[in-house]
Amino acid sequence: MDVFREFISVASVFVLPAMIVGIPLYGLFKKVPVYESFVEGGKEGFGLAVRIIPYLVAILFAIGMFRASGAMEALASFLSPVLALIGMPAEVLPMAIVRPLTGSGSVAIVADLAARFGESSMITRMASTMFGSTETTFYVIAVYFGAVNVSKTRHALPAGLIADVSAMLLAVWMCLLFFGG
Amino acid sequence: MLNYIWAGLIIVSLVFALASDVTDLVQDTYRNDAPLPVRVEFDRPFDAEAPRQPARLVIDSTAFQTFYGVGEGAPEAAYDARVRRTESGALELVLADADAPLPAPLDVIRDATNPDEGILQGELVGLQLAPDRAAAEGGLRFLPVRFVKVGAITAAAIEFAEVAVTIAIGLIGVLVLFLGLSRIAEDAGIIHALVKVVRPVLGPLFPEIPKDHPAMGMIALNMAANMFGLGNAATPFGIKAMEEMQELNPEPDTATNSMAMFLAINTASVQLIPPVTLIAIIGLETNNVYFPILFTTAGSLAIAIVATKLLQRLPRYRATDPVRLGDDAAPTTDAA
Repeated sequence: MDVFREFISVASVFVLPAMIVGIPLYGLFKKVPVYESFVEGGKEGFGLAVRIIPYLVAILFAIGMFRASGAMEALASFLSPVLALIGMPAEVLPMAIVRPLTGSGSVAIVADLAARFGESSMITRMASTMFGSTETTFYVIAVYFGAVNVSKTRHALPAGLIADVSAMLLAVWMCLLFFGG
Repeated sequence: MLNYIWAGLIIVSLVFALASDVTDLVQDTYRNDAPLPVRVEFDRPFDAEAPRQPARLVIDSTAFQTFYGVGEGAPEAAYDARVRRTESGALELVLADADAPLPAPLDVIRDATNPDEGILQGELVGLQLAPDRAAAEGGLRFLPVRFVKVGAITAAAIEFAEVAVTIAIGLIGVLVLFLGLSRIAEDAGIIHALVKVVRPVLGPLFPEIPKDHPAMGMIALNMAANMFGLGNAATPFGIKAMEEMQELNPEPDTATNSMAMFLAINTASVQLIPPVTLIAIIGLETNNVYFPILFTTAGSLAIAIVATKLLQRLPRYRATDPVRLGDDAAPTTDAA
C-alpha cells in the first residue's frame, strides 16, 4: 500500500508539468499552430469567468447569510442526539454541514478542531477525512452550470447531496474502523 | 430542488437572525444604556479643560462578569485609551488599539457601535476623581446595540457577493491557461485518442454522449486532474466538458442526465493524493487519514453513480429530461 502511495505522490508532481510541456510539444510534432491554437482556446476564459459571476454570487451570498445567522450552530445542537446513534461525535457535525456549502469555512473548522483536540484525535481525523473525501457541492454546481448558463439543474443537486451524505457517514465508519472506537 | 434550498438558506438565515436578536433584546444581553463600572487611570493628572488626554481603561473581571451576566471571559489588565471632550461637553473614552482583544459581549458592542473603525468607544458617566486626579471610578456607557444578527447577515450577503466576484475574476488566468492547452490537445488529436481509451469505462455512465465525442475526453481530463489533486486544472477541464455536453443539449437552460452524472462524480471527488490545504493544516497526520479518505471517496463515488442513475428514472426528472432517450432503460409505464 505504501508503494502505491509513494508512486501516486511522485506521479502527481509530474502530471501538471507533463501537461503544460507535453501538450504543446506533441502539438508541434503534429504540425498544429500551437501558439495560435492556445490563444484561440484561451480567449473563452475571460467570458467564462464573467458568465459564472451571477451564479456564484447567488450561491455564495445565501451561504454567507446562513453562516452569519448562527443557524448552523442551532442545527448542530438539534441534531446531536441522532449523531450518537451512528457514532459521530457532535463536534464533527459542523464539518458535515459546512463542507458542501463552503470550502474556506470547512478549512477553518478542521483547523479549529485540530487546535482544540489535537491533530491525532478521532475528531480531527474524522473531520479531515470528510474534508478530503468530498467537494464543495454548491460551488461546483454554481461554477459548472453557470459556465453553460443552465439554471434548471434537475437531479444534479440531490445526487450531489446524496454523495455528500454518504461520504460523511463513510468517513465516520472508516475512521472508527481504522483508528478503533 | 436548488430553488427550494436556495430560498430556504435565505429565509432560515433571516428567521434565525431575528430570533437571536429578539432573545438578546429580551434578555438585555448588551445592557443597553446601563453604564459598565470601570476605572480610568491618567498618565498626567486629569485636566477638565484638555480636549484629549491619554489614559488607561481598567475593567475588573468580576464586575464585568456580573454586569453582563457571563460566566467566562475576562478583559485584559488594562487598555490604552484616550479620553476626549465632545462638543456637547460629555467625556468620551476611545480605545487606542483596534486589535485589542475584547471579551464577549464587548467585541460585539465594538463591531456594532463603530463598524467603520472597529474601535471600542463609549461615554464616561458619573466619574468620581481620586484626590490626586490620576485615576477615576465611573461608568462607561456604550451606544445601544440592537439587531446585531440582522445587521450581520446583511453585511455577510454583501461581503460574499464581492467574494464571489473575486473568485470568478481570480479564475481567469487558470481558465485561459488550461482552455488554451486543451485547444492544442484537441487540434493535435490528443482528446480524440483519449476518448477512445476511456470510452469503455465512461461510456456506460454517459449513454447520451455519442461515440467519439470530445465531451468524453474533457470529462476524462477533469477526472484525472481531480484524482491527482490538481483542482486548478480540474475546473477548466470540467467547464470545457460542460460546454461540450451543452452542445448536445436541445434545451440550453436545463441540465441533461450526463451533466447531472458529471456533477455527481465531481462532488464525490475521487482523489489519489490528499488536498494540499489538508496537509497545510494537519501536517504529517495526513498520512494516517490517507486510506480512510481513499476508501470513503471510492464508496461515495459508487453511491453517487447509482443514486444519479436511480434519480433520473423518477417520473419528475424523466419528464424534464431534455434528451428524452437519456434513460438507458426502455420507457416503461409512462403511456399508462
